[in-house]
Amino acid sequence: MRALVIDDSRAMRRIVSGTLENLGFEVNQAGDGREGLDVLEGGYVPDLVTVDWNMPVMDGLQFVSAVRSNPAYRSMTIMMVTSESEHTQIVRALAAGAHEYVIKPFTADALRDKLALLGLLPQEVAL
Amino acid sequence: MSTVDTGERRRSGEHRPVITELIDETTVQSIAEDAWTALVGEDEILVPIPGELPGDVVSSWVDVVGPWTGTVVLTTGRETAAGLTRALLGEHAPDELEDEDIVDAFGEIANVVGGNVKAALPGPSALSLPDVGAAPAVRNPADLCRVDVLWRGEPLSISVQGALPALPVH
Repeated sequence: MRALVIDDSRAMRRIVSGTLENLGFEVNQAGDGREGLDVLEGGYVPDLVTVDWNMPVMDGLQFVSAVRSNPAYRSMTIMMVTSESEHTQIVRALAAGAHEYVIKPFTADALRDKLALLGLLPQEVAL
Repeated sequence: MSTVDTGERRRSGEHRPVITELIDETTVQSIAEDAWTALVGEDEILVPIPGELPGDVVSSWVDVVGPWTGTVVLTTGRETAAGLTRALLGEHAPDELEDEDIVDAFGEIANVVGGNVKAALPGPSALSLPDVGAAPAVRNPADLCRVDVLWRGEPLSISVQGALPALPVH
């Protein structure tokens, strides 16, 4: 499984990437939504994208909308991982096309549980 | 005779809540504790005992703009901020931390704490990107909710402070 982790915080990218790598993902990273689109346009096709909301240049919601408007990226699962925890924000993200929403701070177990719900845990980890 | 509605009467009669009407210290501490446990480490606790901040401090903050407008500020000594950064990065921490690492990690902690403080306030509100440096001044001591804690014995303060000056007292 491949993942793309998009967050403007290097520390948070390292934390999310480390958790996903421990679960068997091959991980690529980007520092904002625009960089994330560049990675996708460069031919990297992840099974999962985790994306923060508040970022410079292009925020997470804009990224989700851009990805969802491109049929080539239809199979990609998008998970917002953000400190935006108001109900209205969650509804906006899901309406834009995110599949799941994880509120910071989160534990590795919480992230794993969400991935299991999405059917995105590598088989040997899910067992 | 027609009158022009300037909005003056509405504005003068508007009740602008101060932070202590919306959130208390216990809630702020609970939000910070959750952030510490998840980001810094499961065994990392914040002890609700005030300590004297050293002379060389650094702050990280995010702005909240909405029915209540203000800033969530974390302040601690520079050495403690470096320790927090190492704890946050864990095995990914470089041998020698650069200022950029501390700005990034301490800013992200403010982002997480601020985002959850925002969620506890009336909305809708917007959250700024985090900033790191010298703390923004307290504009109105009545519009301030401050929690002082110790992390690994080192003092750290979390302030939720209004951005607007106090209204004149008549």
